Amino acid sequence: MSDEVGSPTDETTGAGVSLVERYEAFTDGIGEEVVVIVVATLAVAVFPWLFAEAPVVSDVLDGYRGLATLMLIWAIFAIGFDLLLGYTGLLSFGHAAFWGGAAYAAGIFSAEVTGEPLLVVLAGTTFAVLFAWVLGFLSLRRGGIYFSILTLAFAQMLFYMASSPLAFLTNGENGFTSVEITPLLGVLDLGTEAPFHMLLGEWLYVFVAVFTVGAIWFAYRILNSPYGTVFRAIRENEQRAEFVGLNVWRYKLMSFVLSGAFAGVAGSLFTIHGNYVPLESLYWTESGEIVIMTVLGGVGSLFGPIFGAGVYLYVENIVSGMEALTIPFTEIVLISNFGVYWHILLGLVFVVVVVGFPRGIWGMIEDLTGFVVLAVTDREAAKARVRTKLSGARDRTVETFSRGGKR
Amino acid sequence: MTLAADIAGILLNGLQTGAIYILVAIGLSIILGTLRFVNFAHGALYLIGAYAGLLITLEIDLSNGLLREWGFQTIGLGWGFLPALILVPLFVFVVGLGMERFVARPFYDRPDTDQILVTFGLAIIVQELFRVLFGGQSIDFARPAWASGPVMLPVVGNFPVWRLYVIGITAVLVALVWLLVEYTDFGLIVRAGTQDPEMVELLGIKLTRPYIVMFGIGAALAGVAGVVGAPLENVNPNIGTGVLVPAFLVVVIGGVGSIRGAVVGGILIGMVFSILVGAPLPQVTVAGTEIVWSSWAQVGIYALAAVVLLTRPEGLFGEEVTG
Repeated sequence: MSDEVGSPTDETTGAGVSLVERYEAFTDGIGEEVVVIVVATLAVAVFPWLFAEAPVVSDVLDGYRGLATLMLIWAIFAIGFDLLLGYTGLLSFGHAAFWGGAAYAAGIFSAEVTGEPLLVVLAGTTFAVLFAWVLGFLSLRRGGIYFSILTLAFAQMLFYMASSPLAFLTNGENGFTSVEITPLLGVLDLGTEAPFHMLLGEWLYVFVAVFTVGAIWFAYRILNSPYGTVFRAIRENEQRAEFVGLNVWRYKLMSFVLSGAFAGVAGSLFTIHGNYVPLESLYWTESGEIVIMTVLGGVGSLFGPIFGAGVYLYVENIVSGMEALTIPFTEIVLISNFGVYWHILLGLVFVVVVVGFPRGIWGMIEDLTGFVVLAVTDREAAKARVRTKLSGARDRTVETFSRGGKR
Repeated sequence: MTLAADIAGILLNGLQTGAIYILVAIGLSIILGTLRFVNFAHGALYLIGAYAGLLITLEIDLSNGLLREWGFQTIGLGWGFLPALILVPLFVFVVGLGMERFVARPFYDRPDTDQILVTFGLAIIVQELFRVLFGGQSIDFARPAWASGPVMLPVVGNFPVWRLYVIGITAVLVALVWLLVEYTDFGLIVRAGTQDPEMVELLGIKLTRPYIVMFGIGAALAGVAGVVGAPLENVNPNIGTGVLVPAFLVVVIGGVGSIRGAVVGGILIGMVFSILVGAPLPQVTVAGTEIVWSSWAQVGIYALAAVVLLTRPEGLFGEEVTG
């Protein structure tokens, strides 16, 4: 951003103004919400080009357009999951039920009723919301680990139901193949090229991208409202939230249902994208994947999970195909047959993140860039920031001990 | 086949299905109950047990393994299984000690969710390691020759011997663990530590060692379960996670930390499963389609867990609602 944009609320003048302050002044002027939406829209718009066709970048990345669409779909799922894990502090291992359940509902709806994409998404999401309500109602009877186990168990129940007793509806192990998607609003075939197709590719991508930006905006709205503040209060200390007079149970259930709705939108889009619903979309490893994506990217931030979804899919689809890991720009082979190890590698990174970097890769990047920017523009402020951060960490440690630990 | 034979057969099958879950669930349950640690990698220990058992059995087996090289040719076939049954628990016990020291201990004071996440990551690493090392295909883990055939039982008729061994081994192990926890000083310290760790430490007893041993025992049980259970199915890298979810259900149904609960929970799940699969249930027709009961077997155990949970959230033998 240039100097002209510098805002009238900026009271300090001259050389002492740091980039951070300028950014804050800038966002004060037009509202952070608009900034987030505009940035998200731009990012989503250039993403497939950057990922798949830009001269240098995409050569290194080796990306392709279909994967870009899939990344956005999982990003929506991850945003919703983070709403639950990152903000309310509930770790669900059953989100495959909403993702896969919505995918099946959308698929069956498209075959039995109508293939209109908007209605298909609506149908899938409705199913996910209703099912999340039931599952949340059952699972939230217990907290902590029991919640995780119960969500896992009930989601598995749906998997087994789809796999055999309900096979007449779901086509069992073969997956649901008779998905019928009709053109959007009866005119726009999602498979045809969109305008600016250098950038955007097919209409399907635009369709998914609109939902992605919408999901980001919606999540931003929730998280910056009093409602979202309650979620965070519950995460920090459930008992205190209860004593303040909040109906914790209701907020937890709503957080669960909301995150189920995101998963539902994503699952429906997945059906439209693939024209097929595999039975595995209900299996619990799918829940595990969304957990890994979210934690890897960074819980408790809006963009962390999106980033995590991208990284996971990238590793799963592209790194897994790599023959050998070489030192960049040389021919020296570090590990041959590298692709086979992608799951182990991801697992290791995941464990490292859980142990050492609770805010994930995104948090690491945030800290790093923030630190570099500050160090360049304002050394005193940088030192002060580091100091407060350290004392913050100390306070947290003290708090942990004063709570008497877990045992 | 008479009705009595049917019923007895179904009960025995249920007992055997439950037995494996009990072995896995007891370890899970005592670690959860005493150490307050959620081990999503418990299934990985089962996996390690299964593969280690398979390797030892193949290596020592008479037909072409070490025993033959050493000149033993007349003591009967398939004795490689016994060393596996003894060595694997010891090995997995050591693995468990390492896990307590380097994975669990740093996480005792961190939130439940972090414990789940780190053990989940660990489970993935172990599973994929086995996939890379041994391939993703299923390997047949043959039952030892002395226990591979059927046996004639009084009421039931023909019944696979190995399934009887599974029930027997489980019963002995469960009894041993129960005696250990209820009637030894070690068990007393661990139980006291569950109730009030600070008080125990004030009495001059360091809890570190009992805890690490308890974790090892839980791990060893999962390892034995792997050796005993693997000959019932094929060995592949997914069996660890396959057994983990039902084991968690057993813990939830029975109540955390309760050995009695794990036994009852395991038997209940085994019975529901075996009844839905094999019992001559009445034919029910809903909306023109006849219900095939056996296809509901997997769903049934989850439904059972749901019912128990709605009526007794703390489990059948759980004492209090924690967390």
